[in-house]
Amino acid sequence: MAAVTLGSGEAGTGQARADRAARVGACLQRARSGETAALSEVVRELNPLLWHVARAEGLTAEDSADVIQTTWLELLRRLHEIRSPLALTSWLVTATRREAWRARERSRRQAPDGAEQLEAIFDPGPGPGEQLLFDERDQVLWRHFQRLPERCRVLLRIVAYVARPDYAAVAEALGMPTGSIGPTRGRCLAKLRAMLLADPGWSGR
Amino acid sequence: MTDPADLPLDDEDQAILDRLAAVEALLDPPPADLDERVSFAIALDSLDAEVARHTEQLTVGSGARSSERIHTITFDADSRAVMITIVDRPDSLVRVDGWIAPAAPLRVELRLPEPAPPRTVIADAAGRFAFDDVPHGIAQLLLHPPEGDASPRVVTPAFTL
Repeated sequence: MAAVTLGSGEAGTGQARADRAARVGACLQRARSGETAALSEVVRELNPLLWHVARAEGLTAEDSADVIQTTWLELLRRLHEIRSPLALTSWLVTATRREAWRARERSRRQAPDGAEQLEAIFDPGPGPGEQLLFDERDQVLWRHFQRLPERCRVLLRIVAYVARPDYAAVAEALGMPTGSIGPTRGRCLAKLRAMLLADPGWSGR
Repeated sequence: MTDPADLPLDDEDQAILDRLAAVEALLDPPPADLDERVSFAIALDSLDAEVARHTEQLTVGSGARSSERIHTITFDADSRAVMITIVDRPDSLVRVDGWIAPAAPLRVELRLPEPAPPRTVIADAAGRFAFDDVPHGIAQLLLHPPEGDASPRVVTPAFTL
């Protein structure tokens, strides 16, 4: 039974993947011919991912928003080189990281004292976290997630926003070892999953 | 025994990741107008403009009348920098004074969200330009080199007036 469910799920993913590729491909094509408004749909789809990429680089909310805008503007000049939806996602992730790095260098240079500034901009942090989550399963997930090593949190936080076929490409664009999440579950997700399944608050009694 | 990390992703994995995305969106949401801002900024006629980075922003009150605030924003591109000063007027419109460096009498376009038409002025020889009676909201600047000048067009990100 599990095999049947998995099988149909895979087929569904395959179809969804093809549909999405065709849709994004058409948007890219229209944008290349000068109709940049066609990208709006892709902007809506990929901005949550790019937001977390910028935040993971330690930028403030304001700087993250700037970096994302600059990245999309830079994309316009590179549209002719980008042929597939997958290439688009990894180009955007890579460019967002590069822009974030530039923005960080800039604020470091402008800061009266580099160290203080770093302190001020770094880490969006766990914050009040759990108090904002009203669903019990969300609280359980968040609690276990916080126990993961930072490297794992950064990876999973970003991967959570990626459409499944893009996992491997995005992990690579993030400089994560291939296989950390891709066609395989990877160590970080395996660890989180094991903790969740052992918690009755997640898996039910 | 197989390491669980080497197993393929299944529906439970996807459920965990989907839930994590939902939790993250609750805890650290992007600004509500981010998509709108990006879509506005990239709706340009041509694709080859040089992108100016937003490098600095200052806000100062103007002495006694603290309701009248002045914002200064600086954008840097490879070929030019542009600095603008935005002054809130009492009638809830704004005035934008700008300065291009290196100075050149470029055509400066202030793009506003539709249906407002773009405003255009020519900078003077010192690189100064101004737009008055501009409504609050988002806007974007484009610097167009004059006919026969080989320097690139420059575009800024969208910013708030």
